[in-house]
Amino acid sequence: MRKTMMYVFVVMTILLLAMPVYAQGPDAAKPAIPWGPAIAAGIGMGLAAGLCGLGQGKATASAAEAMARNPGARPGIFLFLILGLALIESLALYTLIIAFKLLG
Amino acid sequence: MHEQLWFTALLNKVLGGPVNSFLQALPPAFHPANPQEPISNSVAMEVLVVGIILLLFVLVRSRLSVERPGRMQHVAEALREMVTNQSGEIIGPHSEKFTPFLLSLFVFILIGNLIGLIPTFGSPTADTSVTLGCAVVAFIYYNAHGLKTQGPVSYLKHFMGPVWWLAPLMLPIEIISHLARVMSLTIRLYANIFAGDTVTAVFFSLVPIGVPVIFLGLHVFVSGLQAYIFMLLTTIYLSGAVAQEH
Repeated sequence: MRKTMMYVFVVMTILLLAMPVYAQGPDAAKPAIPWGPAIAAGIGMGLAAGLCGLGQGKATASAAEAMARNPGARPGIFLFLILGLALIESLALYTLIIAFKLLG
Repeated sequence: MHEQLWFTALLNKVLGGPVNSFLQALPPAFHPANPQEPISNSVAMEVLVVGIILLLFVLVRSRLSVERPGRMQHVAEALREMVTNQSGEIIGPHSEKFTPFLLSLFVFILIGNLIGLIPTFGSPTADTSVTLGCAVVAFIYYNAHGLKTQGPVSYLKHFMGPVWWLAPLMLPIEIISHLARVMSLTIRLYANIFAGDTVTAVFFSLVPIGVPVIFLGLHVFVSGLQAYIFMLLTTIYLSGAVAQEH
């Protein structure tokens, strides 16, 4: 028990040494961003994230059902699941990059 | 990373002059944005990552033993076995020759992603130039192996599609989809790592204690997953290029 808690604290200490290099101050939003690109970035990213969630949900549901029907095929199904999730996620990430570009 | 990390400053102080002269002596003379600091953060971090990987590999190599394998040997063997099994499943037999490249790609991207979590270092993969470099190398690798294994004529015939009268339609589509692979590999890795850094920083500025730990943990998981995905996709592209119908 004591050893477990020691490990937990060591891991927490390492994880808590966060890197604040990109942290902005509270008044970093002073230079005004024109509202057009800001709304476009927000709506676009929201749409992309929502549809990506739907797609990944469908993929995960199929994978879970396939694994339930055939537990022996687990490695192959897991491989396809990871591949499918990463490919769907990357579509939302392209939109994120465009949102960053829009916001300057 | 707008200001210099300490490692970059060290490299610039020690190697700044030679690197400047080298860059300006190249045929298209390249003038860095700031002549005092010709080495950028990502390049310095890349060099550090390669140095760490070399050190690890030399350590493992010097302690190899058949009777009493140590821990590092177990890890190295497990990694190699994972990559070889996976390329064997996806590409088929005779795929061990791809293992060195795929394994180096995986280890470089994994350590490159994870080194950003250490306080005074940054991820080289959080810069599009580095991820583009990895993607272009993977692209050249699988095309070169496709050309070598199937011969140039047979490999280029793949781009024409299944029947000859679809060729004018299939050729641009295939070329664009192959080029899109480079873009997707680049952006996927870059966006995952860069967004992980940004989200951690945003939450760090909101709630400095406790909450960023969750995002750091998520970043660790995403780093490993993205390195694996990059290697897996390169394996799949290799199998598409090298597979021969027997």
